[in-house]
Amino acid sequence: MANETQTQNVSVNNFEQCLKCSICTVYCPVSAVSPEYPGPKQAGPDAERYRLKNKEFFDDALKMCLNCKRCEVACPNDVHIGDIIQAARIKYNTHRPKLRDMMLANTDFVGTMASPFAAIANPILKLKPMKAVLHGVMAIDKHRTFPDYSSRKFESWFKKNAASEQEKFNKHVSYFHGCYVNYNYPQLGMDFVKVMNAVGYGVHLLEKEKCCGVALIANGMPKQAKRQGEVNMTSMRKAIAKGHQVLTTSSTCTFTMRDEYDHLLGIDNHDVRDSISLATRFLFQLIEKGEIKLAFREDYHKRVAYHSACHMERMGWAPYSTRLLRMIPDIDFVMLESQCCGISGTYGFKKENYERSQAIGKGLFDQIKEVTPDCVATDCETCKWQIEMSTGTPVMNPISIIAEALDVETTRKLNKLD
Amino acid sequence: MKFDIIIIGGGLSGLTAGIALAEAGKDVALVSAGQSSLHFGSGSLDLLGCDEKGNDIYNPLDAIKEVNSKHPYNKLENVSSLAGMAKQLLERAGIATTGNATSNHWRITPIGGLMPTWLSMEGMATVEDPNQMPWRKVALVNIVNYLDFPTKFLAAGLRDKGVEVDIKAVTLPELQELRKSPTEMRATNIAKVIGNNDLTAKLADQVNSVAGEDYDMVLLPAVLGMTNDKNSKHLLELIKTPAQFVATLPPSVPGVRMQTMLRRRFTALGGTFFTGDQVTEGLFEDNILKGVKTAKLDGTTLESDNFILATGSFMSRGLRADYNHVYETALGVDVDDLGLDRKTWAKIDVTDAQPYMEMGVKTDENLRCMRNGTTISNLYAAGSILSGHNSIKRLDAGGVDMLTALQAANNIIK
Amino acid sequence: MTTVNNNHYDVIVIGGGITGAGTARDCAMRGLKVLLVERHDFSTGATGRNHGLMHSGARYAVTDHESAKECIQENMILRKIARHCVEETDGLFITLPEDDINFQATFVQKCTEAGIKAEIIDPKQAMLMEPSVNPELIGAVKVPDASVDPFRLTMANVLDAQLHGAEVLVYHEVIDVIIEQDRMTGVKLRNNHNGDTIDAYATVTVNAAGIWGTVIAQMAGVKINMFPAKGSLLIFGHRVNNMVINRCRKPANADILVPDDAVCVIGTTSLRIPIEECDDMRVTPEEVEELLAEGMKLAPSLGSTRILRGYAGVRPLVASDDDPSGRSISRGIVTLDHEKRDGLAGFITITGGKMMTYRLMAEEVTNLVCQKLNINKSCETATTPLPGSEPKEETKRFSFSQKAAQGRHGTLNDAIERGEAASDALVCECEGVSVGEVKYAVTKLHVHNLINLRRRTRVGMGTCQGELCACRAAGVMCTDDKSAKKAINDLNGFINERWKGMQPVAWGDNLAEAQLTATIYQSLLGVDKLANERRIEYYEI
Repeated sequence: MANETQTQNVSVNNFEQCLKCSICTVYCPVSAVSPEYPGPKQAGPDAERYRLKNKEFFDDALKMCLNCKRCEVACPNDVHIGDIIQAARIKYNTHRPKLRDMMLANTDFVGTMASPFAAIANPILKLKPMKAVLHGVMAIDKHRTFPDYSSRKFESWFKKNAASEQEKFNKHVSYFHGCYVNYNYPQLGMDFVKVMNAVGYGVHLLEKEKCCGVALIANGMPKQAKRQGEVNMTSMRKAIAKGHQVLTTSSTCTFTMRDEYDHLLGIDNHDVRDSISLATRFLFQLIEKGEIKLAFREDYHKRVAYHSACHMERMGWAPYSTRLLRMIPDIDFVMLESQCCGISGTYGFKKENYERSQAIGKGLFDQIKEVTPDCVATDCETCKWQIEMSTGTPVMNPISIIAEALDVETTRKLNKLD
Repeated sequence: MKFDIIIIGGGLSGLTAGIALAEAGKDVALVSAGQSSLHFGSGSLDLLGCDEKGNDIYNPLDAIKEVNSKHPYNKLENVSSLAGMAKQLLERAGIATTGNATSNHWRITPIGGLMPTWLSMEGMATVEDPNQMPWRKVALVNIVNYLDFPTKFLAAGLRDKGVEVDIKAVTLPELQELRKSPTEMRATNIAKVIGNNDLTAKLADQVNSVAGEDYDMVLLPAVLGMTNDKNSKHLLELIKTPAQFVATLPPSVPGVRMQTMLRRRFTALGGTFFTGDQVTEGLFEDNILKGVKTAKLDGTTLESDNFILATGSFMSRGLRADYNHVYETALGVDVDDLGLDRKTWAKIDVTDAQPYMEMGVKTDENLRCMRNGTTISNLYAAGSILSGHNSIKRLDAGGVDMLTALQAANNIIK
Repeated sequence: MTTVNNNHYDVIVIGGGITGAGTARDCAMRGLKVLLVERHDFSTGATGRNHGLMHSGARYAVTDHESAKECIQENMILRKIARHCVEETDGLFITLPEDDINFQATFVQKCTEAGIKAEIIDPKQAMLMEPSVNPELIGAVKVPDASVDPFRLTMANVLDAQLHGAEVLVYHEVIDVIIEQDRMTGVKLRNNHNGDTIDAYATVTVNAAGIWGTVIAQMAGVKINMFPAKGSLLIFGHRVNNMVINRCRKPANADILVPDDAVCVIGTTSLRIPIEECDDMRVTPEEVEELLAEGMKLAPSLGSTRILRGYAGVRPLVASDDDPSGRSISRGIVTLDHEKRDGLAGFITITGGKMMTYRLMAEEVTNLVCQKLNINKSCETATTPLPGSEPKEETKRFSFSQKAAQGRHGTLNDAIERGEAASDALVCECEGVSVGEVKYAVTKLHVHNLINLRRRTRVGMGTCQGELCACRAAGVMCTDDKSAKKAINDLNGFINERWKGMQPVAWGDNLAEAQLTATIYQSLLGVDKLANERRIEYYEI
């Protein structure tokens, strides 16, 4: 028995591997701007020992954690600090979420309600009196511009304009478009379909798609998140059974479904996880294997600064997107130093967080202003809102840049589609 | 994913090698499992500080000739030229340093000690002669309520050397706000608050108001400038008296700055940085390392012609000891455990030279790693993971990190 | 040569362990003029080196009915008078497949006879109550075990003694006794900080020095047969269990796992050692192996839980007077009236017993002291709450450190300065010790160095064993240049004392932690170079 003892440490989320080196505190975007937040080390592994003794040691201030996971990326000892904090919130928090938080968290419900009325909803959400109401009654910050709700959902566009074409292809993928593409920015979904079709892949929607649940987790609604997660897993299993990979264009949705489902929500995703991938990663891997080729327009020039979103950092996948972008011949590529933009999903929308949110992002905004790119590229939709609002620089998903730069005809030829 | 060279470990050693190779036009990837031990740094790099008996060394370049045969310095072709290259590499990354390899200078420690060192980041408080302090009267100016800068120890240490010292404390409303956190009044958070709110000039006013011209030196905690030296330089310019920084307890602002600026240089040269990922497996074929798998890239293998292992010692998780043995964590290459078992890894007095400190990976004369006793022809090791040296007792961490990295890079380019 | 305050005491109590502290308290509460002397710090001997287990008595039920009865009675008393030192966890006695399940029935019967509530529960139920327990168990009995903090308990007794007028001298070692004719009239004390010697006089001197009591007795020319038994224990990084876990069998090595504060402790081994070794005990690799192997039978997850440190204590076992060979060792309370036994008046030894029964021991010896002094006052220690445990509504606390401090100091927590950034800042982040708490300890709780501070507040007792907090605490305690030099030595000593416990378990994360700590203290700060004293023998006191 002695030979098996002490060969590994298996404390929950590795909290006991913490060497108390304090490196995580250097990279926490919150603690420097909000002294009320105890910081990742204290909120995570330090207090966890005492919470195990007595749940009274749970501190409400943990809700200030953005769940950006930058502490985990920085940790040299593989302590899942962010998971410890989120798990403690799920386990010990007794407060019911506020109406405002429920509204912000239910991105797909609100989206469903708003989209048909986009023409009405968008101007209303932008009207000063409405913003005042949101600010005062709902505690949604008045500085925030709600992302426009598209008048036509991506799903509707797809069914009407694209679905019938997809069966023509020999190879197929399923697309988890996410709430943002569906309600706010269908163009990204269209760009994705354009690129995939150009390299010979048919795109299909999942049988049933629910919001990945990231906002529900952040707003203290893990049960609902779990229910939605189970629905997604069931749909994905069906797609995988057909031999599809499930692709996304959002780093946060991907991260949530691959890692948070299992770690935080207790959803068994082990048979699905490896088949969920980010579109940029999927494309890069196929190109590297020589299975597909991309051809780009010769007249495409752009100075692109890539921002590695928090959950992209956590997944460690930024090089897939950046190396893919750098395949575009005339791109002037700048890698930004990875810092949190401060929005963190719904966090920055809340009145009480607005100023902090902007303070957190300042370092990134300053970098962008210094670099003066034509556009910022990032794999996260909420970073897009925040960076566009705060710097005025347009922000594009790498897939949209690829779609814009793509020489579709040549690409189709290279991939023997014509 | 294919690169010319893959470096495992993103600390001082890995980044040094990465920059050197990227400067030579190579496509370099760096896989880093978390942040590095630069975060516990002093703002100085040591080449060789102490001899076997613990006495301070004055000329490290001379003393290096005497190191024992297992020391990694024996595998360097030309220490003097590598040391010069290291200093220039830092300079090109925007990190200006004072000091050279033929004569140590002494840095002031956070508790008032004097430690011999090789290169100090500009602005850090150092003296040329440990027996003669260059100041008559010093103002020690701390930030109110900042606990990681033990001014009373520092003052006592300086007074012991015949310097007159007054302790002062300054603050600003924004720093008062940060004080509200019982844990987060750390060097790096102070640096963020000062940087984000452009408080350098206001801080300088405060310092000037408590430390007038009757002082010939103002010493401050190194709490400015995490991502570049703009604010720290600016503060020293605005203070009317000559002023310098003394390192604090970790996390170290100068250390984080060095890390950030080296990484910035590496990225600007086109290097690819895999953040927060761990190498979990090496794919070996006929004593050649073909590629590595990582924890996060799942299906992707990172392939290259040459590899450098620079993952650090136990505290950086490059080495690990379990109940029964000491092993290398990323690739499972051969480790020199000095032939000791668990009972003798560590000695009873913590201040004794600890045997575990000298453990590390075995390498041939070209710094190439071995596996099951056979040399791997394209896998080099650099930095603290190398066996045969005790960086705590001999004060050689910075030199081993940078010089072996440069040597490994040279060996690859050759 | 001077005497203490030129005063004469009714009673001098030798020994700042729990027995001495409890005796000083009882004597003071009965109106005696008391001097308590301790050669080092409070609870440096067996008091500070045990499980922190508040026995229900069940462990002794089968083998020692008397002890079992004493335990359960004292257990119930301590829950009331020392609320803030006790955590009511309950305990399990589990039967494993290799144990005889028939023992369970005897065990329960004997417990019941001693007045211990022992309830047989279904193994499945036991696993629900305590998920860490070995799933292979075939039987379980629930008993009212609990965990108790011996440092706090000792300090609370000292504080109450002082509140009742007792004087206390720490770092004062008895170097000789003063005997006039056939009566002990006092002791010669050496101040262990500066070497000064002083005399103190008393009508009665109580020897409550634990195993070292044999040395005191020697000075007085009387012989007590003591058999030091070393017991080693391991501390794990966090709580694996929330209930005490014991084996339901005859007491053996390493068969108790106790949740203490934020950690858990497995122990003990048992080894006779010579008295000379009692001052510097180290946990051997063989002991570590035995503790781990046996501990994993109680809770298998111990095999993969980080071990913070090992430590060893020594039980003061006394051979009964009619058996000088030491074959029949008593674990019961031994009160020796040396006037009756050896013809030396004014001298009483109280020894044997257990931490659990300290109050009863104090009561017995105080009864005897009162009898000698012709004082007729009854004992009230069983019903009077200790300072910190008064029945009073506790102030609601919010922050991590305030809650942690409340746990440590009970109602005395209100005396800690807080609410200002300067006092709320954390010195020790693992254990939540604030600047205010450090200052409180330094001014009110006899703190002279970092190790004293650790015993009062848990500074440096967390996962990292003092990686940053030791330096911060030393900085807070330091007042001027002279104390700065002392503090540097103190800091160096403290790091070495922490290392003493880490060294026997230096692998895995602990070895990584050790390297990081050494890098910070030796490479970055240069503490070892600055420290000019390297008296390793004093590191622990």
